Amino acid sequence: MKNTREISLSEAIKEAYIEELRRDESVYLLGISIQAGTFPHTTGLIEEFGADRIVDTPLAETGMVGCAMGSAQEGLRPVLDFMYAGFSYYCGSEVFLQASQYHFLHGSQHPMPMVMVGACGVGRRVANEHATLPYGALIHHPGIKVCMPSTPYDAKGLMKAAIRDNNPVFFLWHVGLMMQKGHVPTDDYVIPLGLADVKREGSDLTILASGLQVHHSLQVAEKLAGEISIEVVDARSFEPFDRDTLLKSIEKTSRLIIVDEDFERGGFAAEVTAQMMEHGYDLLDAPVKRVCHPHIPVPGGYMEAYTMPTPDRIEAAVRDICR
Amino acid sequence: MSLSKEQKLLLFRNLVRGMTLDQLMMRLIRSGRLVGFYHEGAISMAPGVAAGSFLNKTDCLWPHLRSHGLAHMVSKGVDVKTYFAEHMGRVDGCCKGRSSYHCSYPDDHIAGWSGNMGANFPMSVGHGFAAKYKKSGQVVMNCSGDGSYGEGRAHEAMLMAANWKLPIVFWCENNQMSQHTALTDIFPGERISALAAGYGIPAKVVDGHDLFACGEAALEAIAHTRGGKGPMFVECVTHRVHEHSVGAVNKAGARVRDPEQMTKWRQEFDPQKLAAKRLLKEKLLTQKDIDRIVVEAGQEADAIEDFCEKSPKAMPPVEELINQVYAV
Repeated sequence: MKNTREISLSEAIKEAYIEELRRDESVYLLGISIQAGTFPHTTGLIEEFGADRIVDTPLAETGMVGCAMGSAQEGLRPVLDFMYAGFSYYCGSEVFLQASQYHFLHGSQHPMPMVMVGACGVGRRVANEHATLPYGALIHHPGIKVCMPSTPYDAKGLMKAAIRDNNPVFFLWHVGLMMQKGHVPTDDYVIPLGLADVKREGSDLTILASGLQVHHSLQVAEKLAGEISIEVVDARSFEPFDRDTLLKSIEKTSRLIIVDEDFERGGFAAEVTAQMMEHGYDLLDAPVKRVCHPHIPVPGGYMEAYTMPTPDRIEAAVRDICR
Repeated sequence: MSLSKEQKLLLFRNLVRGMTLDQLMMRLIRSGRLVGFYHEGAISMAPGVAAGSFLNKTDCLWPHLRSHGLAHMVSKGVDVKTYFAEHMGRVDGCCKGRSSYHCSYPDDHIAGWSGNMGANFPMSVGHGFAAKYKKSGQVVMNCSGDGSYGEGRAHEAMLMAANWKLPIVFWCENNQMSQHTALTDIFPGERISALAAGYGIPAKVVDGHDLFACGEAALEAIAHTRGGKGPMFVECVTHRVHEHSVGAVNKAGARVRDPEQMTKWRQEFDPQKLAAKRLLKEKLLTQKDIDRIVVEAGQEADAIEDFCEKSPKAMPPVEELINQVYAV
């Protein structure tokens, strides 16, 4: 890549915001304490864009999401920051039933272009509300696109795609990756929603992961290189989901582990497993394995370090499936 | 604000049309031709007519549940035949027959509605936010009943609208019943509009059976909000003379509502009769004029019924529906 430099994932999101805010007057940001910046991805935006476009709200998530929905219908492109994705559960009706399904139910004639942003992820020792990863619940509901980057490059490209999309998009970012550095081009680019990315090629086994778990999986692949050749596929987008890239990978490796930091039951890993049974059964030499958060609330304290999927748990699963 | 002759006649014509179409809905549901439910408007339709009659085409309107917003939408100038077709599950329905009872008229800035009471409040904040952001001069007529003010959403919306001085009219059609519960059993105050004071929103209470009082309040609220003074609250007090939705129980808690009382209210507070009396007294219309307006409204209803009956039932294959979930 030419014209790139190393920046953090937070800075990459901020760059996407700045470029889209400059490009399109209808884009604005709203959220709780985004002017001061609870997280670094919005810090300082107020100086260039002012309080009309970087909007601090009261603690009123339902009002905020309604503001995004209604203003989107009237021609704006809101980016609503929930701070933590778990806070979006305050307005579950608006997120799951309204924003996502409004377009279809009203005759598919009135688009609702809006981005919802929320940090999530286990490991910060602050328990369920701050850690909850909502993508399993989100993809259960038709009409909302959902993505989560694992690198600064993906973060900027996915955010730009999300802002330009004519549908509600939930953009998740992992608390463990906020300061993760990586190469990001200075030129304009987007990463279309619905494209997975092979982060490391391999031939013995495929691991499908997203967010922080891509890095855990890459650590395991590196550690076991020479012994077991692991291909790591980054889902990047949960809905739409790039089934073809995964099928192509298991056609080569015949084995699949899905690492999913969300709760095990009825989640993304379970959904992909079912899709692989329906579309990739003949390609597999072993049952699909899941490494997920166990079916207990995210406990906080020192327990988060081992309830979440860790490199050790992933390695154990790899050794088990390759026996 | 006092009403001109033209404004009074506009209100009256819209009320006759709205109440006639409400009765068409009643005929359709009683003859088993609606796919979903219906919430009768009857004598509580004057506020909706007033809310819709003085809006510009680009002003946003969220109609109230009662009469399924017919009073509001007819008065805003929407051709509601596709709304009836929607209620009958037909291909010509305004939502392509897939919603049972939702409205959607983007060109008229009627964004739709929801099966969730109170869903209007946060979305109206969004419509108002966009109007202010774009400096478009639009106002938002956010209609609801008294029951929706139990939702936290209503309070978040009043807070945000007041804080940002958004051009939103909080138009409360208070029929003193929340489904099968009397307002007095679930609300500690005298007036719903008293809530507005906590947010510094000016409020007004009017007789919801007095079409012209409602009309004057609507004009005042629209002028206030369009003038950039922030939101305004209007409470129109009416009576509910029937069950919540057609076929439901008609009780207030454990108490059966008195049928004689409701019949008396239906006669005493009929807004069409009250308005006609006033127009005759002020010599703005003759009985012959009124009869003609009633006949024309009946013809409009007949044409709508005919249109819907001719429209095929909407039953597209799932493969087609899957491609309709996302906007391009």
